[in-house]
Amino acid sequence: MGIVLGNIIAIYRRELQSYFASPLAYVVASIFWLLSGFFFAAILLGPEGVIQQTTQLDLNGQRLGQPAVSIDVPYEFLRIFLGVLGSLALFVLPILSMGLYAEERKRGTLELLATSPVTNWAVAVGKLLGVLTFFITMVLPILAFEAIGFSYASPPVQPSVPLLGHLGLILLAAGVLSLGMFISSLTESTILAAILTFALVVFLWVIDVIAKNLTGPVAEALSYLSLLQHYNNFVRGIFDSSSLIIFVSYIVLGIFLTAQSIDALRFQRS
Amino acid sequence: MIEVEHLSKIYGSTSAIQDVTFSVEPGEILGFLGPNGAGKTTTMRILAGYLPATSGTARIAGFDVHEQSLAVRQRIGYLPETPPLYPEMTVEGFLYFVARLKGLPAGDRTRQINAAIERCHLQEKRRVLIRKLSKGFRQRVGIAQAIVHDPPAIILDEPTVGLDPRQIIEVRNLIKSLAGSHTIILSTHILPEASMTCNRVAIINRGEIIATNTPENLESGLEGSGYELEIDADASAAQQLQALPGVRQVESILAVSSQGSIPLKENRTCLRVTSEPGTELGRDIVSALVGMGVGVYEMRRTHATLEDVFLELTTEEKNWEQTGGGEEAVVEP
Repeated sequence: MGIVLGNIIAIYRRELQSYFASPLAYVVASIFWLLSGFFFAAILLGPEGVIQQTTQLDLNGQRLGQPAVSIDVPYEFLRIFLGVLGSLALFVLPILSMGLYAEERKRGTLELLATSPVTNWAVAVGKLLGVLTFFITMVLPILAFEAIGFSYASPPVQPSVPLLGHLGLILLAAGVLSLGMFISSLTESTILAAILTFALVVFLWVIDVIAKNLTGPVAEALSYLSLLQHYNNFVRGIFDSSSLIIFVSYIVLGIFLTAQSIDALRFQRS
Repeated sequence: MIEVEHLSKIYGSTSAIQDVTFSVEPGEILGFLGPNGAGKTTTMRILAGYLPATSGTARIAGFDVHEQSLAVRQRIGYLPETPPLYPEMTVEGFLYFVARLKGLPAGDRTRQINAAIERCHLQEKRRVLIRKLSKGFRQRVGIAQAIVHDPPAIILDEPTVGLDPRQIIEVRNLIKSLAGSHTIILSTHILPEASMTCNRVAIINRGEIIATNTPENLESGLEGSGYELEIDADASAAQQLQALPGVRQVESILAVSSQGSIPLKENRTCLRVTSEPGTELGRDIVSALVGMGVGVYEMRRTHATLEDVFLELTTEEKNWEQTGGGEEAVVEP
């Protein structure tokens, strides 16, 4: 067990290092930060932003002599902002996961991994943890923006709600990255892996839309399988263990399929 | 140490190797010699556990490469055809990664990595990014990753491909220095490499092993060893030499230098005396010539090289099969 853990750590460190050495990763992170910073400012402070709208509602209420409606501004902001951040992440994740195996296949380093005393699933787990850590690094500065913003809120914001929302974001990312890793293991072309993973993301999004607009058992089943629905639960501050189980199932499925695909890759050449 | 029995590998309808059987004793270097596309890489990959065989068994240190893959993978170092390197890592960082991957205990890592770096003469490159290394250094890093965990068996697929002559000599010396404590199997299509580095050579062509022996035996088992003479005599001397015991053939040849054939001086003859396998004619030829009162200007021993063995064996194969595709007869010097 100790050896397996050591292997996972070795793979994890190498994977993480390769992201920090890759110009592409910095470009992706910069664009992600730029856009999320823009949305942060626009949603909080912009003319259509949460604060403006709340002020408008208050003023309207005073003019009409109605009692002021109580609006939890930090909560409203977080709900909208994390929704946007989730969509933004869906665009970024295929680019992060595309090289996980495709690059190894192209360089021939898969032959090193496959002939070392490491199991396929240990490699997959190490790689997934590596790319997920990089994604978490991308999310950290955004948490800092929020912490600064929320420090001005009165009454103070309970940290559990934003933390749960971000946990949801990370679980969503892990699910998509895990499936993206599997897609990456199917091809030697990183571009093809990115396109196919993006197609998968669009497919997940379509499932979500269908689930929202339909009723009946099919819609219910689809909404249960939709990663985005479960993400929204987390964002709203609802911790539902079934949501957690769905996320973990997607992650495990991705790892399992990756390990199988690498096994099949070695056998199919027979 | 390495036992391969009746190994076959079929890709779709074409068979890459058929019924390959050989074994490598502990501490030995076996050269796997064959033209491009003969099935060398396929055999190496099966041994390393990267590909499963269609039929037959291969065992390393008593473990089946397919059934007990993990146990085998712990005991081998493998250099694939293209060295598996991560360009964004430094040489040292990469070797640490491989050492962890191979499950080397933390306490031994630094020592073993230093030893591998030293053996492969990578000292001044240890903190250089692999991306910035030349082909020769990359190949050496590839060898270093194969030996970093000090495995009992080392599998090297074309270890000297793409190196300059000096680097080739260094890599050969490195491989020779590893023998004894390690069992090595290396593949090559370069003939002198096999004869210089290996204790034994297995010649593979079109997926089948056609000969396994020491380079010396392979060479001496071949016709064509003997002497070339330049003497001042006419054809009658040739008849007398032909009568000596152990002489297979005496033929008249033109004196040839690297510039082409040299015109012979008056009354001189060039002869090639070919011996029966395993006989030594030097003494007899000299005493016969002296007995005849013939002057000797040059006497040179000629060897059949592994190249001749190789050409003879692979050409024979070609004649049997009546193909004439020609690709298997390509031999790089």
